This record gives sequence, C-alpha cells and structure tokens, in this order.
Amino acid sequence: MSLNVTLKILRSRPHQAQRYETFNVNVPDAANVLDAIEQAWAQHDRDLMFRHACHHASCGTCAVRINGAEKLPCIAPVREYIGLEIKIEPLKNFPIVGDLVVDVASFFQKQEASDFTITRPTENELDGRPIAHTDGLDSESAAIVPFNRFENCIECGICLSACPTMAADHKFFGPAALAAVKRQLDKTTDANERAKLLQLADDEQGVWRCHSAWECTEACPQNVFPAESIMALRQEITAQRFKNFFRR
Amino acid sequence: MNLYRPELSRFRFLRWFDFRTWRLGMLAYILNRVTALGLVLYLYIHLVVLTMLAAGPKSWDPFVAIVRSPFFLALDVILLAGLLIHGLNGLRVALTGFGCGVRAQKPLFVALMLFAAIALLIGAIKIFTG
Repeated sequence: MSLNVTLKILRSRPHQAQRYETFNVNVPDAANVLDAIEQAWAQHDRDLMFRHACHHASCGTCAVRINGAEKLPCIAPVREYIGLEIKIEPLKNFPIVGDLVVDVASFFQKQEASDFTITRPTENELDGRPIAHTDGLDSESAAIVPFNRFENCIECGICLSACPTMAADHKFFGPAALAAVKRQLDKTTDANERAKLLQLADDEQGVWRCHSAWECTEACPQNVFPAESIMALRQEITAQRFKNFFRR
Repeated sequence: MNLYRPELSRFRFLRWFDFRTWRLGMLAYILNRVTALGLVLYLYIHLVVLTMLAAGPKSWDPFVAIVRSPFFLALDVILLAGLLIHGLNGLRVALTGFGCGVRAQKPLFVALMLFAAIALLIGAIKIFTG
C-alpha cells in the first residue's frame, strides 16, 4: 500500500529570498519522512539540498524540523502525518548552506572542546572478560584506536536547534557540548582533568548561560538528557565553590 | 576557545514565539520572561506614582479613589498573577539549577502553577471584597 504525501519544503540559497515549495510524492505506507524527501529529490527537483547517511538514526546527519519540531526524518513515519501537509525546514540556530543543509562546523568545534572521547565500561569487556581495544585488530587498525566516540549522543544538532538560549547567543556552548563535558567528568577521577572540565563548564558561555527551558532534553531523539547534565554540572561547580570557600 | 562564528540573523530570538513547538519547559521559559517584563514595567510605574506623595494629600487622595475602581483592582489581580507565576517558577528554576527535582521539573511546574492558581483565586477574592 502506498501513501500520497504533500511536502512543503523551505528552499533557500545564499543571497536569495527563502520560499516554500510544495512537492507531492508517493511513498510506501511504511516510509519515513526522509524517504519522502528523497522521492521529492529523485522525481521533482535534483537541486534540492538535504543531507543523510545511515537511514536508521545512528548518524544524526539528516536532522531537520518537521512541522516546527526538531526530528530525525529517517525515523519519522509519514503515516503519522496522514491528512497533513508535512512542512520541512532546516534546523534553527545554524547558518543555512542551502535548503535543508546547515553548517554544523561550530557545533563540532564545541564538542571537541570537551575532548569528548567516551568509552562505556561495557566496551572494555566481552562476556565478563576484560578486553583491550586493540584485541582482534591488525596493527594498522590498532594504531587508530581508541576510535571510541560511542555514546548515546549522535551529534545531530537537534538540541542546539531547540535551545532558546542558543537562539539569543550563538557563543553559548550549547546542550550537546555541556552534556559531553558531564559525561567526560563522570569518566575521569583525575583531579586535574576534572578541574579542567569544571572550569570549561563554569565559563561565562557554559552552564550558567542555560535558562532551563528543557527543550534540549525534550527534543533529543536519543535520550541523552542534556538539560539534566547541565544541572548536574551546576551542582558540581557549586559544591566545588563551597569547598574552596571553606578551605581558605 | 577559538570558535567558528556562524553568520546568523540578529532577530532569530523571535523564534522563541513559534508556539507550534512549545512544550511545558518552553511555556515556563516564556511565562518567566513575559512576567519579568511586566513586573519591571510595574516597578517603574509604581515609582512614578509614589512621587505623588511628595505633593501631599491633595494629590494623593483623589488618586487613591481612582485606584479603588474595579478596573484598577483587576490590574492588581494581574499583578498578583505575575508575582505568583514569576516567583514560583523562579523557585523551580533555582531548585532544578542546584540539582533538586531535575527529573521532576514538569510535575514541579504543574504543581507550583496549581498552587499559584489557588493563591490567585484567594487573592482576587480578597482584593475585590477586602
């Protein structure tokens, strides 16, 4: 069985006025919105710019706004929008490259500031037996470990798009980077590393810039709970300040 | 940190008012800002009005008679609503900001706003009958 879907896509190019363009496409009833966008590209307009890779919510590349809400179109079923026009817009708070593609360079720079290389405890063992990251790898592959950026966050940028603080100040580190700092803090017991991470979170563009709208946690498709991480960082920073005060 | 600076519209904060996607946290966020602006405006009006005291009873007494009218009493109720919403929501933000009730921020907001509604009802009755 197939469905007729009406997509209303925000089209834009640098130095040109933005406009909405409507596409009618036919997709299987099990299709997701990304499939419909691909149909629009394949059948109607090869100039349509959009980004995607995995088609199963593990790369975070395709994030857009669907009817105003930040979503991954690769896991948004079109049948949820039966009878509705599906309005598709690029993420907010990022510069638009063209149509649905935004420039995420600043996002990744902020992520890197936390030295975010995470290893889950379970990745260090197999069937209860401790393993090294190089086990089973040839020397060439072993040289590039740890390639361990495995964490719930898929770096889709949805939390930055949903964040109202980000809309007012792009210098704010943003929910994803602060969640990465918290995760990194949980991972280490090294006092110097912890101090460095807390200092980063305590920056004027860090946790105190958040105004507790909780939109990042609401929008996150991977249950990273960035807002909760920001609050936990505040708690740690405050506790640290109290300790420092009484040590004087 | 030497960050890449994206070119973005200065007015993108206007997207705050895109109510299509407002969820409870965003509603609380907007309410806090709207009530804050209202309270700041009230503070300045209040200070201007107080200058009438310097002019003595001739100026003050007729003004007091005006503010006892139902219209001004309704404004008092709106002021009380602003104080309750902003104060109680601010309490929630402070609590969660220090790590208390983080996972319960939504029920906390609903409970505090219910409390605000009850307090406002009692306050409104007192204002109009007191």
